Amino acid sequence: MAQIPVQTIHRDPQLFYWILIPITVVMILTGVLRHYATVLMATEPKKQELPAIREQRSLLRGINLRTNANVISPASFQARKDYLVNAYERGDFLKDPDKKGQAAANPMTDPAAMEGMMGMMKGNMAMMIPQTLIMGWINAFFSGFVIIRLPFPLTIKFKSMLQAGVGTRDMDPQWMSSISWYVLCIFGLQSVFNYLLGSDNAASQMAQQMGQMGPGAGAQMFGPGVDPDKQFKAEAENLSVLAHEYTLEGVEDRLLETVRV
Amino acid sequence: MLTERQLQISPIVQESVMHNTKTLTTLHNLTASLFGVGAGILGLESYPGFLFYLIFSLITSALVYAFRVRPGFIEESQAQGNSGMGRYFRNSMELWTGGLFEGLSGFVLTWTLFYGLVRA
Repeated sequence: MAQIPVQTIHRDPQLFYWILIPITVVMILTGVLRHYATVLMATEPKKQELPAIREQRSLLRGINLRTNANVISPASFQARKDYLVNAYERGDFLKDPDKKGQAAANPMTDPAAMEGMMGMMKGNMAMMIPQTLIMGWINAFFSGFVIIRLPFPLTIKFKSMLQAGVGTRDMDPQWMSSISWYVLCIFGLQSVFNYLLGSDNAASQMAQQMGQMGPGAGAQMFGPGVDPDKQFKAEAENLSVLAHEYTLEGVEDRLLETVRV
Repeated sequence: MLTERQLQISPIVQESVMHNTKTLTTLHNLTASLFGVGAGILGLESYPGFLFYLIFSLITSALVYAFRVRPGFIEESQAQGNSGMGRYFRNSMELWTGGLFEGLSGFVLTWTLFYGLVRA
């Protein structure tokens, strides 16, 4: 393979002061701003009525009993199980016991459900608006500038990605335009945000996208459109088929084994 | 692998696992950016740069192992005769390769930036 001479392009050092550094600083500051905007916009959970809370908590109690069953003695587990299974099956904890057999309400008409969707919308907005704005800002002011060179070679396939807005056919794909620097910043600034804001921050777009899948599991449980009676029935069934095995069984032998002399 | 009964007797607490992973990830993210600064100032290109990152990440992991993991279990391993890695990690790969990919994007960013600044 013939040695290809390295392309050198003489860039004005002013490019750094007026393009590279502004973009980087703006990206970092936007991340910080987004973090605090998300923190400030997070609405406090609305106060729920007593029966609604009782419905949720009693279901959680069943789940907790199921996960931690093995740390309590068989007698107390049996007592708790009997109580909960009976109550679940009778529907004692339901918010409104009269509506037991009916289908769940349409989630769109339920005001509590709308609240949740608004929260999700806000999160999306906090991500979308700055992204669009900065993209537009870079396009308007800095499009077409080649500002920096990647320190590692890339194949020609990356050319359209890295040199968006630069119409030079023969330029080495290592050279990056300002838009590509912006993209690189999106991916690489995670560690900076971790350092600045702590690791639970809401600054990174990457983390936002991951997070959208995460909380779905929690919301599903008490979400709208789920019949609580059916959940109670299912939990009662789970509890009654659970095989209980006491952790402390045979603990004396295990203890004696560790202190063998 | 632990059996179900052993897990009940000495359970793995999810919060602690997450805390350990998070601590390690933060360390790797931060050091990756700093390695990027180093590689950029040295003017490394292509393979030497990535090699630089790989070697220094492994050194970071080794330091964590030597100073934080090792002293904690040294008595324990003498008592029980196992490697003791399970005290903090579920398997040893988590320590050695865990932060390698998370830090890479930060490394590339600062590497490019400082390479560009130095070689302008």
